[in-house]
Amino acid sequence: MNENWLAERLTIFVPVLLSLSVHEWAHAYSAFLLGDDTAEQQGRMTMNPIAHIDPLGTIVLPLLGVPFGWAKPVPVNPVRFDRKWNMSTGLALTAAAGPFSNFVLALASIAGIAAVTHLVAPTHSLYQPAQQMCVTTAFVNVALGVFNLFPIVPLDGSRIAEALVPYNLRGAWDAYASIGPMLLMGVIALPALFGVSLLAWPMGKTMELIALVTGSGL
Amino acid sequence: MKKRLVTAAVWIGLSALTLFLIADAFGRHEPAPQVVTFDKLHSLAEDGRVTDLETHGDRVVARLTDGSRAEAMGELDEALYTELTEQDVPIRSASVDVSSDSGWGSLLTTWLPALVLLAILYFVLKRSGMAAMALRRGRHRLVTEKTNVRFSDVGGCDEAKRQLGDVIDFLADPKRWTKAGVRVPRGVLLEGPPGCGKTLLARAVAGETGARLLTVSGSEFVEMFIGVGAARVRDLFETAAKHAPAVVFIDELDAIGRRRGSGVGYSNDEREATLNQLLVNLDGFQPTDRVVVLAATNRGDILDPALVRAGRFDRRVHVPALSRDDRLRVLEICCRAKTLAHEVSLAALADRTDGLTGADLDTLVNEAALLALRRALEAGEPATTLRSEDFVRALAQREDVRGRLGSVDATLVDSSWKLSEPVGSARLRLTLSDGAGIEGELVWADATFVKVRRSGRGGDLVIPKRQIRTVEALDGGEVSESTKLRLTQPWDAGRSS
Repeated sequence: MNENWLAERLTIFVPVLLSLSVHEWAHAYSAFLLGDDTAEQQGRMTMNPIAHIDPLGTIVLPLLGVPFGWAKPVPVNPVRFDRKWNMSTGLALTAAAGPFSNFVLALASIAGIAAVTHLVAPTHSLYQPAQQMCVTTAFVNVALGVFNLFPIVPLDGSRIAEALVPYNLRGAWDAYASIGPMLLMGVIALPALFGVSLLAWPMGKTMELIALVTGSGL
Repeated sequence: MKKRLVTAAVWIGLSALTLFLIADAFGRHEPAPQVVTFDKLHSLAEDGRVTDLETHGDRVVARLTDGSRAEAMGELDEALYTELTEQDVPIRSASVDVSSDSGWGSLLTTWLPALVLLAILYFVLKRSGMAAMALRRGRHRLVTEKTNVRFSDVGGCDEAKRQLGDVIDFLADPKRWTKAGVRVPRGVLLEGPPGCGKTLLARAVAGETGARLLTVSGSEFVEMFIGVGAARVRDLFETAAKHAPAVVFIDELDAIGRRRGSGVGYSNDEREATLNQLLVNLDGFQPTDRVVVLAATNRGDILDPALVRAGRFDRRVHVPALSRDDRLRVLEICCRAKTLAHEVSLAALADRTDGLTGADLDTLVNEAALLALRRALEAGEPATTLRSEDFVRALAQREDVRGRLGSVDATLVDSSWKLSEPVGSARLRLTLSDGAGIEGELVWADATFVKVRRSGRGGDLVIPKRQIRTVEALDGGEVSESTKLRLTQPWDAGRSS
């Protein structure tokens, strides 16, 4: 809690904002490519964070320093897809686009780390800030992407899973979907209570990758 | 393009701000302390070069006289401690340091996990839509309005107006009623077929007394969630009391006021809770409350008996289908602002429009005016005058009039309009297939029906043509060929000609 408090918070806030914006944009853009312009009509097909802000999930939590957040969900209307893909496949594709975009962004920021490490002189005043931003962006994006791939109902992963569930099991899926919110609470709260992280493995891998590109253990 | 520029500007601005803030923060950072052994630190202390010492549990950090810092791994040992206390060097513990930090910081660290959990709970509820639905409960709009509809704007409904007159007197001067010891009419139930002016009457009551009108529909009280309907009823009556004098108008009362427990094999607790609340609120008026409840329904028969018992909606005003005279008055009201050609006889039109309601007539006049306007525009006339042909065509366009003729096909309907022009005064005696004889003046005839105004007090009668066996003229003369033609069914007419 001193003069670099704001800087600390911003290093979390800006990457979270970026990841969420790109995530929502990816949903909107993939739906648009499949023929549904609902999100585009509502002005959501943009990386401008202002279009996607959810006051609590996008502003308050990241500013409190929590590397977790959510944005306003982008509406997708599968009825408006053209019929190149069937509706459930299309829905799964739009759902997958969000986490996919986060992984791309994570890779891009790891490339950014490599570029900064090898191209900028370590004494430059922006060397450490830029590197730190890229590292946070990489971690936040991996976390967001992996977390969203959990097949729990409000999350994107559930939409992908739903398309893979055979038709004769849809009834069972619906029963599962109804306990989704509870399950999500559990998945978020229990590891926090027991001090373990479900994201430990992907985070570890990301760390290894960063160490690889910087040529050092960061 | 502009949108992209805005997006780019937002990101560049945010990143630049963050980068420079971090750079600034790093710039203020002191260089990392030099790592030394405890022996070295001890000798530095003996030289008097240590000005300040901080313990961090498993390491100590000393500030030296030249401003730099030295760090030694391990806990503060006895020898160094005595050495420093002799020199009066302040020794602080970093853990104490944290708690003496700004109150905000500790507050945040203590409460942050709880806050985060709450936020996540909110997120989950919101995403699953439960919260959204629960919140909608409060989002219910009550509009109070002042109307300037008067009784003179309502055509017909004389009996209803007479009965509502009491309500108006009460709203205007409630003291007089209470002084006279007369119980206040709390609720009035307007009953009648759709489109006959129940809503208009309610507005007129408010308009006549200058009271506020609160209009709600019974269906607005019907919701998924138990308690929402009842809450809305309370809300409604509270708002009305606040805006007194007020007229509460509940349209489609049967949506909530249905007889309780009549559903076979199911019951609807939410609706019953709403109804109970309504009953309680109807009882709950203070005698001085200048609030009157009007309700409208076209299913008076299915209402709960408790709702229509004495003291609640005890005054049931029947708003019947319009009579001929009522229709004439409605037509006059509808045509007030319009110019009519002389040949237009609203009386004849009123004769012709059996079964049409006030709303139908209003639409009819409007359609006619529209046709007249179109005609005037085509002819380039400056003023719009409604001619009788406009009314005839508007009448022909009325979908429901066609509907009333049942299965008769459209061409037949069209031909019938030609036949149903007013026929002048032909006095006839008709014998029907059941042997009954009817005497009277022929008002109109169309493809399937004939209307006869009976002599004396008999009133008007619409007779299906197929029931007519014989026709004779009463004036002593012959029944003219054209009149006869009008009284036979079109297919017969076609055959005979």
